Amino acid sequence: MAEKINLTVNGVPRTVEIEGWERLIDVLRDKLDLTGAKRGCDDATCGACTVVLNGEAVQSCITGLAKYKDGNVVTIEGLSGGVGKLHPIQQALVDAGAVQCGYCTPGIVLRLYALFGKKPDATDDEIVDALEIHLCRCTGYEAIFEGAKLARGYLKKAAKA
Amino acid sequence: MEFKYIGKDILRPDATAKITGKAKFLADLKLPGMLHCAILRPTVAHAKIVSIDTSEAEKCPGVVKVVTAQGQNYRYGDNIRDFTPMAGDRVRHIGEAVAAVIADSAHHAREAVKKIKPVYEPLPVYVDARDALKPDAVLIHPDSGDFWHLPGLGPKAGTNIANYYKLVKGDVKKGFADAEVTVEGEFNYPFGSCSAIEPHGAIAWFHEDGLIEIWSSSICPFVIRDEVARVYDRPISDVRVHIPEVGGCFGYKSDITVEQTIAFIASFVPGRPVKWVATRKEDLVSTLMGHGIRTKMKLGAKKDGTLTAIQATLYHSTGAYADTGIHVCIGATHNCTGPYEFPNCFMESYLTYTNTPPIGAFRGYGHQEGQFGVERLMDMLARKLKMSPFALREKNYLGEGKTTSLGEKLWKTNGDVRACVANVKKAVFDSPKPKEDEQFYYGRGFVAVMKSPKGAPFSSKGCYLKMNSDGSVCINMGGAEVGQGLRNVVRLVAAEALKIPPERIRVYTEIDTQFSPWEWQTIGSMFTTQGGRAIVRAAEKAIAILKRTAGQVLKCDEDMLDYDGEFVFLKSDPGVRVEVPRLIHGYITGDGITIGEVVQTTSDCRLPRYSGLDPETGQGSAGVEYTFGAQACDIRIEKATGKVLIDHFASSFDVGRVIQPKQIRGQIVGGVMIAIGSTLHEELKFDKDGKCLNPFFGRYRFPTIKDRPAKQTVVCVETPAVVGPFGARGIGEHPLVGVAPCILNAIQDAIGVEFTELPVTPDKVKKALEGR
Ligand code: FES
Ligand code: FES
Repeated sequence: MAEKINLTVNGVPRTVEIEGWERLIDVLRDKLDLTGAKRGCDDATCGACTVVLNGEAVQSCITGLAKYKDGNVVTIEGLSGGVGKLHPIQQALVDAGAVQCGYCTPGIVLRLYALFGKKPDATDDEIVDALEIHLCRCTGYEAIFEGAKLARGYLKKAAKA
Repeated sequence: MEFKYIGKDILRPDATAKITGKAKFLADLKLPGMLHCAILRPTVAHAKIVSIDTSEAEKCPGVVKVVTAQGQNYRYGDNIRDFTPMAGDRVRHIGEAVAAVIADSAHHAREAVKKIKPVYEPLPVYVDARDALKPDAVLIHPDSGDFWHLPGLGPKAGTNIANYYKLVKGDVKKGFADAEVTVEGEFNYPFGSCSAIEPHGAIAWFHEDGLIEIWSSSICPFVIRDEVARVYDRPISDVRVHIPEVGGCFGYKSDITVEQTIAFIASFVPGRPVKWVATRKEDLVSTLMGHGIRTKMKLGAKKDGTLTAIQATLYHSTGAYADTGIHVCIGATHNCTGPYEFPNCFMESYLTYTNTPPIGAFRGYGHQEGQFGVERLMDMLARKLKMSPFALREKNYLGEGKTTSLGEKLWKTNGDVRACVANVKKAVFDSPKPKEDEQFYYGRGFVAVMKSPKGAPFSSKGCYLKMNSDGSVCINMGGAEVGQGLRNVVRLVAAEALKIPPERIRVYTEIDTQFSPWEWQTIGSMFTTQGGRAIVRAAEKAIAILKRTAGQVLKCDEDMLDYDGEFVFLKSDPGVRVEVPRLIHGYITGDGITIGEVVQTTSDCRLPRYSGLDPETGQGSAGVEYTFGAQACDIRIEKATGKVLIDHFASSFDVGRVIQPKQIRGQIVGGVMIAIGSTLHEELKFDKDGKCLNPFFGRYRFPTIKDRPAKQTVVCVETPAVVGPFGARGIGEHPLVGVAPCILNAIQDAIGVEFTELPVTPDKVKKALEGR
């Protein structure tokens, strides 16, 4: 049964008509054309579809209606602020050389966004724990880990400024 | 040589689009009037199809058409034409396409596909080549003798052998008679998956005007184009293939895999684009798998360690179709010597049809499977001879003037394996090894490796270069960016060759066979080598045009002129000059007449004298551009769990010339991680009925950030190669080649257990520890 629901995406209130079975990933990709959330597995085992919902990183491929209805969603499209203005986390991952094919990247950025949003001082171990769900076939994780640590520093610098 | 741009890290041209989520991958594409399809996969791995009832599915909401291939039997493939786009009279593996639903949404298509009712009459299932080779085995392709194939290859009619390859160098009998010591073993590299995080997918569209348009997450648009044109009897120019961003490849998105199936389905709804994106399960078992190679190998040597002979037999369980596995198997066979000179070789391989999903390229293309055996045996031989593994190998390395198993004499420019060995030895072996403690055993291992391009004699890469009126440059090529960073290589090589800053060069994003230059496929780690040389050639042609026009302007012969990126000037008097932008679209003379050619050039590059293989001896010049390297590691084994932890993994390759230091490190570190997965965790398992037991990430144990080595060392050696730009070689596949034997040699060092089968999981180690 189709139903109309409200949610806020990247700061903009949206009303969408959805079918009850549709997950958050379907709403974002198919209804709102926000294709930055990537589908890699569809069963919560790769992390590519991760977005931020009400401040928490969630895997949008298993996030059902009850959770995202009236929710506040941040997607990768909501992070950067125009030409030459990447979010510090994005900038850090680029600087660390953590972007290869880029398919796992948006999910990782948003995982770190949620992590540092709550814990600006997250330890190296906490970073690794947070990223464990995110599969990356390209990088061997070294540059991702370096990029995450760099992001922690960039964010602190940005907070001070 | 001093370089202005290469050797420096610059921002990847694709980084911003990817990190902002704007880069478009196959699944992100929407086309006008687009339909979606879902595919029915069988419940049995080998069976005759008795009937397929589609009536219920046809009634489902949103359904436009239900497609089966009953009564059809066309085949495709560019080595052995044995693939079918959809099962016709029988299914041969569990991931095969049996029927499909085309609907207005992917959801509707998936719902309806569940309503299709096929009836099967099961046939015996063979998961392992050794069973399929038994004399009484049922034939997986009773008509294999009729398949078109390239000359010199192909199935043996009346058996399940899809190809038999044999390599003979010298006299192996004499070689073993001369040997004072021999070692032998049997090694297994089981089924695995490249598993890019982006699943494979394609869109096909049969236009009303006869054009067939295809989009695919592939690295071989031109192979797809040519094969689709052949099958649908269209001029090649009437097929147009687009490649958007590709979310990782690692081999299995090469050749033709899913595109013929989607084209077949879309041909039922002419005028409408039809899209399909693999589920993870389909990506694992309905595209191409990797490996499946079992090797029996024997080495002979003199007491002083000089190798006298190698004998190897490879059994490749290549799956239900062999077109994509055949060269993996041949490559595994002739490269199984590793970087050593054997005067006498006898190697053979049985490419065998089995009821498993077809094998295709997996980053490394046979090299890791072939060299797994030799690198384990070299360590065993060293122990038998009471020599150090370094000293034994040192006596036998290939290098300048030595001949490979293929009979190719190597050049100095093929690189320096000894320099690579010295680097990893220093990184790992020069510090004391930790002593066994309460919790852990410690070990270290070492291997040397060799990688050939394993391409085709006609393999070429092209470059279209266009200068714009402000001196900026656009470059189009046919090389697929799958994450390896080739567009950055293009930019840097072009910058160096044209002497202009990389920021003035815009490289292509999507590949479109209508606009991109021809390239065979982006495989074999050959883009930097061949593509790079093509760029240099295109740049040289562009500079020649500039000089030609400038010669008319400055009224002198072209060879009196020089070019520095900004000006063309008189060598003898640089003040006599003309600015480059004034020459690009022709020079407008004082009387208003334009003279000279527009600066836009094309070029290509093939490997010099690369040849096919002799049908009798299996030899030929099928390497040309070899690369050598070495790897070493420090590991620890947790006593309580049997878990192998990698403390340090060191790799050194002779890359000829470093174009992008950060990207090379990224390629090597990432490549090593994939092979650590194959070594310690990953295996696609099939039961005796051919059903896959773990076609999900949840059960296919993919390495995570916690599995990464505590430290990786990467050291590049730079012995300039002949073909590549400024001496550069590719490095894409090489990091995987030695990882498994390196870790297994280290496990032997730690606990004295000789593992010969992958993956070496914690339970296997624990069991071995208990059994000691
Ligand atoms: S697509 Fe959601 S976790 Fe993989
Ligand atoms: S960059 Fe390709 S999967 Fe992570």
